[in-house]
Amino acid sequence: MSQEKVNLSSLGVPEEELFTFVQHDDEESEKITAPRYSYWQSVLRVFFRKKINIMVLALLGVIILFAYVYPSLIHFDRYANLTDAAAKHLMPGAAMEKFGHSLHWILGAGASGEPTFDAIWVGSKISISLALICAVINMTIGILLGAVWGFSKKVDAFMMEVYNIVVNIPYILLITVLVMLFNASFWTMVFALTVTGWLGIAYSIRIQVIIIRDREYNLASRCLGTPIRRIAMKNILPFMTSFIMTLAATEIPSYISYEVFLAYIGIGLKDMSLGRLIFEAEPAMVTTGWQFEFWSPVIVASIITVVLYVVGQNLGDASDPRTHM
Amino acid sequence: MTKYVLKRLLHGLFAIIVVVGIIMVLIYTLLNRDLIFAKDLTWQKQANNAKVTYSYRKWQEYGYVDYVTFQDYVNKLAKNGEIDEETRAGISLGRKAEKDDELTAEYVKKFTEEYEKQGFTITRLDAVLSRKKIATGGQQVLFAARDKPLHIRLWNYFTSIISVDTVHYVNEETDIGKRGLTFTTHDPLYGGKTFSPAIMGNGTKHKYLLYFDNQFPFIHQNLLTINLGESYSVNYGRDVLETMTVSQGTYITRPTLYPTGHFEDSADDLHTATYQPGSRESSELLSARFVDDYTDVVTEKAGMSKMGYSFVIGILASILTYLLGLPLGVFMARHKEGLVDKIGTVYIVFIMAVPSLAYIFMFKAIGGSMGLPTTFDMNSSSKLMYVLPIVSLSLPATGNLMKWLRRYMVDQMNSDYVKFARSGGLSENEIFFKHIFKNAAIPIVHGIPGTVLGALTGALITERVYVVPGTGNLLTQAINAYDNSVIVGVALFYAAITVVSIVLGDVLMAMVDPRISFADESR
Repeated sequence: MSQEKVNLSSLGVPEEELFTFVQHDDEESEKITAPRYSYWQSVLRVFFRKKINIMVLALLGVIILFAYVYPSLIHFDRYANLTDAAAKHLMPGAAMEKFGHSLHWILGAGASGEPTFDAIWVGSKISISLALICAVINMTIGILLGAVWGFSKKVDAFMMEVYNIVVNIPYILLITVLVMLFNASFWTMVFALTVTGWLGIAYSIRIQVIIIRDREYNLASRCLGTPIRRIAMKNILPFMTSFIMTLAATEIPSYISYEVFLAYIGIGLKDMSLGRLIFEAEPAMVTTGWQFEFWSPVIVASIITVVLYVVGQNLGDASDPRTHM
Repeated sequence: MTKYVLKRLLHGLFAIIVVVGIIMVLIYTLLNRDLIFAKDLTWQKQANNAKVTYSYRKWQEYGYVDYVTFQDYVNKLAKNGEIDEETRAGISLGRKAEKDDELTAEYVKKFTEEYEKQGFTITRLDAVLSRKKIATGGQQVLFAARDKPLHIRLWNYFTSIISVDTVHYVNEETDIGKRGLTFTTHDPLYGGKTFSPAIMGNGTKHKYLLYFDNQFPFIHQNLLTINLGESYSVNYGRDVLETMTVSQGTYITRPTLYPTGHFEDSADDLHTATYQPGSRESSELLSARFVDDYTDVVTEKAGMSKMGYSFVIGILASILTYLLGLPLGVFMARHKEGLVDKIGTVYIVFIMAVPSLAYIFMFKAIGGSMGLPTTFDMNSSSKLMYVLPIVSLSLPATGNLMKWLRRYMVDQMNSDYVKFARSGGLSENEIFFKHIFKNAAIPIVHGIPGTVLGALTGALITERVYVVPGTGNLLTQAINAYDNSVIVGVALFYAAITVVSIVLGDVLMAMVDPRISFADESR
């Protein structure tokens, strides 16, 4: 074998690509290097990797803008055109011809001559607020109690009995009684939906806690003398972030659906929420030419719930560290 | 296993009792009881003291209070022989308490003492006068009333759920001839010529305690009856269970031979005759047909019962759900990230997120434009009217089933046993259907009894949207009509179904999966 020496400069490699000698450094050699990892940054990175998420998030922004900003910009009076017989039950075309081309009349006019578009957003504000408030209350109580429920065997025995009893009380009956007791205001509905609503969430959290509680790393942690609270906060809660997000994704739209359902069977809010709007427009569905009035709130409600659901689900997926590779 | 099931059922029973207790508190104590008069025209016409007594009488009928008037008390004393007829006639309330004569005052005192001891509140309303005369409804009254205590209410309710018919049912003082049971091999209803054994009673509530007829299950008994609560406004005088199971629609008439020998086309099912005191004397129609007071009969109708309709629709919808959902869920997991999986996921998102009311109306609109009947008609023989309710119930449930089955299967796909099977050279199809599906189906199996039994309770929205006369609406109907005993009965029925289906689900799961055992040692 013959070794040929090559002159580096003849290869045309630039100077900076060549190896250079590095001095040995005792201090540097003690450090362990790992790729920088930040949990929430990774969550956002994974979330925005999907193009559809950006779209859905934009749509959510539009919905929130319309539900929370738009109603305060307009002056909505449901009965402003009540005496005008020609203003009722109008298709978008006819409504725009009568009242002029503006955003208000883009979905036509309703049973009392009110602009359907405005009514929908005023209703959405109530419905979305209801859903968010109920979700926050139920999730907070549910997660806290669910964690205790999963950890303590004594609490478990007691709570299981409570759970078995409460799930057997017909929900409709409970809500009807509460609505009759305190009249059908917004806060009554919040109370009615949260008085037992947290129990289902707590139950599913309990199952997750029981699954994770006895994993090896928690056992090891306990053997090393970590206090329960620290195990709960540092070992288990991060593990459940994804689950909790997914749960929230199903919970929030479900309250909107539930509100619609309650309004339909006649025990809903007395404010003009989305559900009540759909309930009052129901007779219009079977009348030819009036269907628009019924379908508009239904479709808007569906869009809102789907957007909330998809955002929550994908955020849930993104918050699972296993997807952060 | 048996021990476990018994324990679970016992726990379930405890839960049910507490649930009924809570519901009783909700409807009898918390709700404003004046609400029941909202639509009562008679109540609105009443005035003065009569309005008060009318309210109490109604409250007693709806089960809110125990209520005894002074007159009832005096009559009771007379009946028991404690006072004679003369004294009874002599007792009459004065317009004011001070105006009572001595005799009346003595009995008023006794009345007050006796009922106050039992926790009643005594109310005396003086006569309301207008121009020296008693105004309309202004008659002076004295009565005792108390809210039924919860424990007594619960005890009475649960002890009367199952009742056994005896020959002492009819008031002992009523002369109805010889009491007793008779066994006959030739049922008189069929003319006494055909062989058809029956046990008949005299003095019992039901005339026929055991009989055969041409309807499923051919042999019927009335000895044991289940009473969940007698309806007041939804279906007057009938039990909740009867309201749910009795046939509806148009009458079926057929030649009927009445006990008197009267013969005509009628819908009366004479086998269901129950005792109705004094009914024969008060009605010429009945006295021409019946020889005794067993005159209260159920009429036969062409349609199914509430529960029947709900069950048929529910069970067909469940079958459709499993037929669609299982293959689709497996396919989605098998070809993960494929086209079907993506479409399926969009569908699942749609079902999970969109309000159920919205898509049921959408199904209705689509079905209607395809020419399917959108409302249910009991008198129509068309089977097409079942299509939309079944589809509307099944499609959402299919989405849900797909979601869970796919999730369970995808979870199993990374397990060690799958990797082992693959390394052993099994084909993907074998791995999927023989191994993964079997494991993933276990939680699905747990839900099957719930689905089947749940079909009995009906589906509220679907039944409302398509006007199906099923059980789903019964609870809301009862709530709107303040029919308290129906509310309690229906809630008990629902709770019992939930408890039983969870236990059955456990049993089924243990049967399917040999690893699951509920025996004490292995737990």
